[in-house]
Amino acid sequence: MIKNLDELADHVIGSGRKTRIAVAVAEDTNTLSSIIRAVSEGFVHAILIGSRQRILDLCAQEELNPKLVEILDLPEELNATQTAVEMVREGSADVLMKGLVGTDKFLKAVLDKQKGLLPLKAVMSYVCALQLPRYHKLLFISDTAVLPNPDLEQKIAMVNYSVAMARRFGIDKPRVALITATEKVSTAMPNTLDYALICKMAERGQIKNCIIDGPLDIFLACDPTAGEVKGVQTPIAGDADILIFPNLESANSFYKGLMLFAGAGLAGLIQGTSKPVVVMSRSESAASKYYCIALACLMAGEQ
Amino acid sequence: MQITKLDQMFDILKTRPKKRLVAAWAVDAHTIEAVNDAVQMGLVEGTLVGDQSTINKVCAEHGIDPGSFRIVHVANDLKAASKAVALINAKEGDFLMKGLLSTDRYMKAILNKESGLMDNGAILSHVTVAEPMNYHKLLIFGDVAIIPLPDLNQKIAITNYLIRTAHFLGIEKPKVGLQAVSEQVLAKIPSCAEAALISKMAARGQIKGAIVEGPLGFDLIIDKESALIKGVNSEVCGDADCILFPNIEAGNTFYKTVGKLLKSELCAIVMGARVPAVLTSRGDSEKSKLYSIALAAMLA
Repeated sequence: MIKNLDELADHVIGSGRKTRIAVAVAEDTNTLSSIIRAVSEGFVHAILIGSRQRILDLCAQEELNPKLVEILDLPEELNATQTAVEMVREGSADVLMKGLVGTDKFLKAVLDKQKGLLPLKAVMSYVCALQLPRYHKLLFISDTAVLPNPDLEQKIAMVNYSVAMARRFGIDKPRVALITATEKVSTAMPNTLDYALICKMAERGQIKNCIIDGPLDIFLACDPTAGEVKGVQTPIAGDADILIFPNLESANSFYKGLMLFAGAGLAGLIQGTSKPVVVMSRSESAASKYYCIALACLMAGEQ
Repeated sequence: MQITKLDQMFDILKTRPKKRLVAAWAVDAHTIEAVNDAVQMGLVEGTLVGDQSTINKVCAEHGIDPGSFRIVHVANDLKAASKAVALINAKEGDFLMKGLLSTDRYMKAILNKESGLMDNGAILSHVTVAEPMNYHKLLIFGDVAIIPLPDLNQKIAITNYLIRTAHFLGIEKPKVGLQAVSEQVLAKIPSCAEAALISKMAARGQIKGAIVEGPLGFDLIIDKESALIKGVNSEVCGDADCILFPNIEAGNTFYKTVGKLLKSELCAIVMGARVPAVLTSRGDSEKSKLYSIALAAMLA
């Protein structure tokens, strides 16, 4: 079982596989340094798509060795992005990664019905693995980046994606907590209704491979003493592997708060696409980008 | 003691202080005979609200002693309904029974905002208790007569009425099956989705005093084996005390199947008002009317 982000990287390095990553507009230092670190550790073959001149300039500035990577000289941003998507789509790369291009433009290329990477009717979402100094294992959370107000069907997709990812980390039957402010089911809080339905679906075998409960608050999900204090019996028992949040604001604030105040580490990935897609904001650290690359390699591997 | 036969209500009532029945517009032989039976058996005390001379005449024709009842004279059915309700509100009676007046007028008197029997926000619903042949216990179910298409809040209220009825019949922790078209949670089908919500609410202690499971197809509610074949392992399945039906058509069809096709005994009351109300129809058997009176007395 992979218990933290360094073990994730070790696992990918130890697999002996080289994952081919196409980077769209690889023209910022965080992207370059994280991808070149992954290349030098031997688990990635990088295809950097963008202006050769700018990539070489940045490598010189950051003292990175450009000979470790393949560069495809396409200085025009849209062209570079579409080419990167196309390479992953046709199988000459295994993973797509965003560099210095706006998320909007990047996702537009990913979502393109003819030339993109999203299967028909698939839900696109985002799952992160969070490493927390004061929690005894990795905590997977969703959706921190893509779905602003997931409906029932999208919440079910979030659960399934998170469970699939946790299982790749070796957690055979992850514990999923459906998070809101209360454990009560109430028409005044529509998310609690979706959660109750999802639980019953799991009980009926419509959602598999997990132990799931909700609505729950974060204490009931992650603090083993909370159930007794609140008089709530839940199979999660304060030992959650996965937290599903009701909306993007709550999930996004949760992880950013923990990164800022609690020294959390993170690896995240777009879900629902036919191949792994790494999208991170420019403000993300090189370490986070490196872990994201490792996560993409894990998810790109054979099941 | 847990009751498994409707007759057992009689034994219990005979040991208790008698509850006072108030019958609205009790001027026909059906009503007066039913009340008389209950009084003669020592189950209740009876107040007949109706036209004094008509009551006397019917009693004479049927060999009933009018001295067995308290008779409150009113001139017509409309006045009878409001007078009967007023007697309840004045604590001169413990529960209500409909006589020869239309259900409409009877309900209107109960529902009247100023003079009726409803607390603010209360939901009126119909609860049936049946003794189906082939089943090992009583079945308590609703709503077969009042709420055509209950919404979630009404379903929760009905569920609570079923549970309360079971408690009064000595069933300590009744098992409640929430009927739907499938045991799968099909979010777009309200019977499935709302049953899942109610079941989860019960798991969270928001509905108390019962084990509540749903959605369940009707077969799964009454037959353990069907449930296991479909992969549902719940102690409710095959041993349900109560059934919540998703709409009046489903409930009413079951009610009539039990009563008319199986020829099994059943009885019913209206719940949600300050006191239980008996709402028998002339088509009901004498036994059934007596059971309904007994059931109301049990809950009053």
